[in-house]
Amino acid sequence: MRRLGAARLLPLLPLVPVLLFVLLVVLLPAGFVFGGALAGGGADRLPALFGDPLNRRALENSLEQGGASALLAGALGYPAGIALGRFSFPGRRLLRAFLLVPFLLPTLVVVVGFEELFGPAGFGPALWPALAGLGRGLDGILAVNAYFCAAMVSLTTAAAIETAPHEQEEAVRTLGGSPYRAFREVWGPPSGLGALAGMTLTFLLSALGFAAPLVVCGPGCYTLEVRIWSLAEVLGQPQEAGLLALATFLLLSLPVVGYVYLLRGSRRRRARRSRSPPPLRLRDPRAWPAIAYLSLFFGAILLLLGVVLLRSVTTVSGAPSLAGLRLLFAPATARRLGISTVAAGANSLFFASGAAILALLLAVLAAYGARSGARGAALPEYLLFLPLLISPVLLAFGLATLWRPLLGGASGTWVWILLSQAALALPFAAQTLRLALDRLPKGPWEAACLLGSRPFAAHLDAELPRLGSAVGAAALFAFAFGFGEFTATYFLVLPPFTTWPVELFDLPEIRLGAAAPALAGLLVLVSLAGFAAIEGGIRRLAR
Amino acid sequence: MPGEAVPFLAVRAVDAFWGDLPVLRSVSFDLEEGELLSLLGPNGSGKTTLLRCLAGLETPRRGSVRLRGTDITGWPPHRRGIGLVSQDPTLFPHRTVWENIAYGPQVRRWDAEAVASRVAELLGQLSLERFAERYPGALSGGEQQRVALARALAPRPELLLLDEPLAAVDPELRADLRAEFRELLRAQRTSAIHVTHDREEGFFLGDRVLMLFEGRVAQSGTPEAIWDRPAGRTVAAFLGYNILFRDGRPVGVRPDRLRIGPEGGPGVPARVIRSGFVGEARSIQLRLEEGGRAEVRCAREAPSIPPGRAVRLTWDEEVAIGPSAAPRP
Repeated sequence: MRRLGAARLLPLLPLVPVLLFVLLVVLLPAGFVFGGALAGGGADRLPALFGDPLNRRALENSLEQGGASALLAGALGYPAGIALGRFSFPGRRLLRAFLLVPFLLPTLVVVVGFEELFGPAGFGPALWPALAGLGRGLDGILAVNAYFCAAMVSLTTAAAIETAPHEQEEAVRTLGGSPYRAFREVWGPPSGLGALAGMTLTFLLSALGFAAPLVVCGPGCYTLEVRIWSLAEVLGQPQEAGLLALATFLLLSLPVVGYVYLLRGSRRRRARRSRSPPPLRLRDPRAWPAIAYLSLFFGAILLLLGVVLLRSVTTVSGAPSLAGLRLLFAPATARRLGISTVAAGANSLFFASGAAILALLLAVLAAYGARSGARGAALPEYLLFLPLLISPVLLAFGLATLWRPLLGGASGTWVWILLSQAALALPFAAQTLRLALDRLPKGPWEAACLLGSRPFAAHLDAELPRLGSAVGAAALFAFAFGFGEFTATYFLVLPPFTTWPVELFDLPEIRLGAAAPALAGLLVLVSLAGFAAIEGGIRRLAR
Repeated sequence: MPGEAVPFLAVRAVDAFWGDLPVLRSVSFDLEEGELLSLLGPNGSGKTTLLRCLAGLETPRRGSVRLRGTDITGWPPHRRGIGLVSQDPTLFPHRTVWENIAYGPQVRRWDAEAVASRVAELLGQLSLERFAERYPGALSGGEQQRVALARALAPRPELLLLDEPLAAVDPELRADLRAEFRELLRAQRTSAIHVTHDREEGFFLGDRVLMLFEGRVAQSGTPEAIWDRPAGRTVAAFLGYNILFRDGRPVGVRPDRLRIGPEGGPGVPARVIRSGFVGEARSIQLRLEEGGRAEVRCAREAPSIPPGRAVRLTWDEEVAIGPSAAPRP
């Protein structure tokens, strides 16, 4: 039976801005790059593209780093997800929310953190020399990727476990089923799906890793993403870069389709609400492994943040010192960078806020479209996953080659940075809203329609006010994504528009590496402050 | 036809499906202005789907819905002017009772004075004044249903649809609420279709009753006519009649009109399965020898009959109903 078949075209009107955005900011620029690459006999070179040893090496690196990072993140994140999803304890909600922090930190901050922990002068080798290599080479890349993504895997696992009502497990146990049977029949399958979704996303993000291979390892570890950037920006071979981008697009479409399929599967399970899971009791020996693992897991996350913060106000030897901060804000540094640290911070704030507002607006419209049930209305939601497939470098490459020469030139760079950050944040903001919307019963929306509200107005009146916490979370995602975004911004940026993550990359390049820990510390502080502010806001909204 | 009166609501040959599964099969009926129609049928008979088709929340695959002669089959819900109160009150949890009731008139851009006056009128009629500033979460189930009814009535809908609105309310409150609902609908002169599987509630609220079985209209008529002359065995069984066979022809007899006699006497042979006290009477469940089951209600003082005992069932001819007496829709 068709639902709401009578309202055929009108509900689709709010989706027009979403479709326009995806078309103009994502599809057309990417299509322009592909078209340019295939023109003039480029298509004939596509099959032989990986005959080039550097391209083949980049492909191998992408697959190796993506696969190994996914396995590592899964192994570390799955047990934490189980502990968080299956037990309740004071502060559980806050811990779950805190899992987003590593995912939202700028990559370069984590790189700095690992350098401080495992670099030649780091804390780790001082305690155990065998740890010395962990911050560099392939090990370093995997460590950085795992730091980002293990938290995400645990989050998707915990969320998936919560879709299996605890009452079902009680039913299995009271009917004589063993704990293993309850795992196999009730919470095991969804937790596996959740972990698999997180691992697939880890694979995608790691296979397209940019900052970590560039900084931690060098040319021997370049992924496809770095190779495309290198061809387009460093070697001046845009057609070759376009061809490689097209091949990457085609290669990654399978995992992206798999990821979207897994998300759809977990969404279908989200119809029921369940009681809170059983409490984690300190005196119960069966709870000790969970407590111990969670302590280690969050301890590791906090350790890196703590080290970065500590190093921002100490010397290499550990003595308190504000020399790094003074160097960071010194006029000489501003002259060499072409912009002051304060101005770069203001740029970061401006881009992140603008991207958050834009991404949130589009996410609200897209989530509504998928909710309305009108034929074709779910399409924009799927289009929003395109930034997972059209990587940051390809996105920036497309915007720079198609739109920048046509509109605004160099002075319009800020528009393209803002749009690229919004596009990259969109899949996550839209997904956050959509999941929250799926948990709301449709009755009030239908009631508002029957009382005379147009479908979109009914959504704004009856549903959006109840999504306060999800809107806050989506805003956090989008803001943090923008604030920490490095790859696309680095591709597009010109000095007046430099952001903090770009400055963090540039500091060692201009031999001011001593100021990098100070800036990394500032970025951690901003991330934590933003997290605290929005977390407080979410709580108030949820009340 | 020129000069022919146009029904207030005309539903014609409506078919609806869940996937390939037919839910409504060529459903047709009329509703007069100001009439209260009870749509009665067992679970899964298509009652709620029919209501959702009328409200515009589902679209029938075939057939038409006309309101005052206008075909509204493809209209979206917000253009129909039809109200709906369902089993789940679906109140807006972030709005107070007052704001919930005012929502419809405000959406229709009534002026503030008219909105306030209408809300005050409904708050008064449903004894909700003291809850006006409360949020729905602070109300009981019965209070929430009263607010839902007030909210649906506030914009003066052309037609009100009630989808088992009292199903989740406890039995004592349900009797009060249905009397209250009926009075209010009468006072507001609102045309309404009320869906229920509770025959007592359907008969009480409806001027007319439409029986729906397996997506088809099985019978339509006044509550009394349906009670006295159910059209066929399905309707009779749903209304609580025992279906017995005499000379190969089915007859329907109410449980309180059946008598139990000794084995070997006249009547339909049966065997007692169990008997039990059900309040004002004793209920005796029996298996008929010719197949099927029956229930007999007798005085609570009547002697208990042990399970397994063979008996005969008899009744007075004038209390039995037969297929020949029942009108076809």
